[in-house]
Amino acid sequence: MSHSKEEHHCWNCGEHSPSQRAARSLFCQFCNTLQAPSPDYYRFFSLPKTLAIDDEALQQTFYQMSRLLHPDRYGRRPERERTYSLEATAILNDGYRVLKDPVRRAEYVLRENGFQVGEQRSNEVPAELLEEVFELNMMLDELKAGDGGVIAQLEEARGRFLAMLDSIDTELDDEFRSHDAASGDDARMASLTAIRGILHRRRYIRNLVDEVDRQLTSRNA
Amino acid sequence: MAYSDKVLDHYNHPRNVGSFDKKDPGVGTGLVGAPECGDVMKLQIKVNSDTGVIEDAKFKTFGCGSAIASSSLATEMLKGKTIDQALEIKNTEIVNELALPPVKIHCSVLAEDAIKAAINDYKAKNGAPAPAAAKA
Repeated sequence: MSHSKEEHHCWNCGEHSPSQRAARSLFCQFCNTLQAPSPDYYRFFSLPKTLAIDDEALQQTFYQMSRLLHPDRYGRRPERERTYSLEATAILNDGYRVLKDPVRRAEYVLRENGFQVGEQRSNEVPAELLEEVFELNMMLDELKAGDGGVIAQLEEARGRFLAMLDSIDTELDDEFRSHDAASGDDARMASLTAIRGILHRRRYIRNLVDEVDRQLTSRNA
Repeated sequence: MAYSDKVLDHYNHPRNVGSFDKKDPGVGTGLVGAPECGDVMKLQIKVNSDTGVIEDAKFKTFGCGSAIASSSLATEMLKGKTIDQALEIKNTEIVNELALPPVKIHCSVLAEDAIKAAINDYKAKNGAPAPAAAKA
């Protein structure tokens, strides 16, 4: 990863800095002053750019950095360091929220690689799934019209969709691993394309399950 | 965001809601969906096999007002056209007719996809090879 010249030097003491070790990368290794935080979540957390990550290590880094960046520590520090601590705290919290969630994490990496997330042409949805989705919507309509007879069918369909979500998550995990193992940009991009497709399917099914849940609860309420 | 009067009219009084028997050889069925908003649209055409003219069209759409209006309008546009003429229908005609705002253009795209899918299904059933580019 290339760093600009400025970032190699501490803004406070001018020494060649900072080290790339987790958590400490934010601080000058000579005068221990907080440096301008990187907005890149992976760099901020000193993580390699892999999609599969160690959840526990991430959580520990998060706690450790939360302590190091706590605003109370910067009350008497120079203005510039106080500003950095606020920026760093925001990046810390946003970054943790994104990185700890496999779906958000993958979307983040996709965006960073120039993929548009959340747009898709209809022909990318498998036809068999559409049939099922259409039938599900028909049942929801009947339920809204007051026909409680479809509840059992709806619950059955809900179970099928939840099982699909499970297998999609396994698929996503596998694709994460082949992304991380990919040698060369072509293989990596191909893998990201596959991941985007998986995420689209996942979101689609997730929305359906949520809609079924809403309808079933509003009926029970 | 306010819907245009034409969208509201099609939404409140959708034309041609319903379905045909999809096993009928004269019927072409297009089923498309937009994962992002969860819309799913079924559009069917009934074709006169002698003339190639679409005699009737029906739809059922689950989705927002614009998606319903787009498919309702699409069925109106299809009636009386030959299947070749119908393939020429562009989503921009739907956008203009309904005065769809930019954020709802994807609804008209979905309707165009549904038309093409229905025609491809009809053609496939009747022995014509489906165009290679379109996966219906």
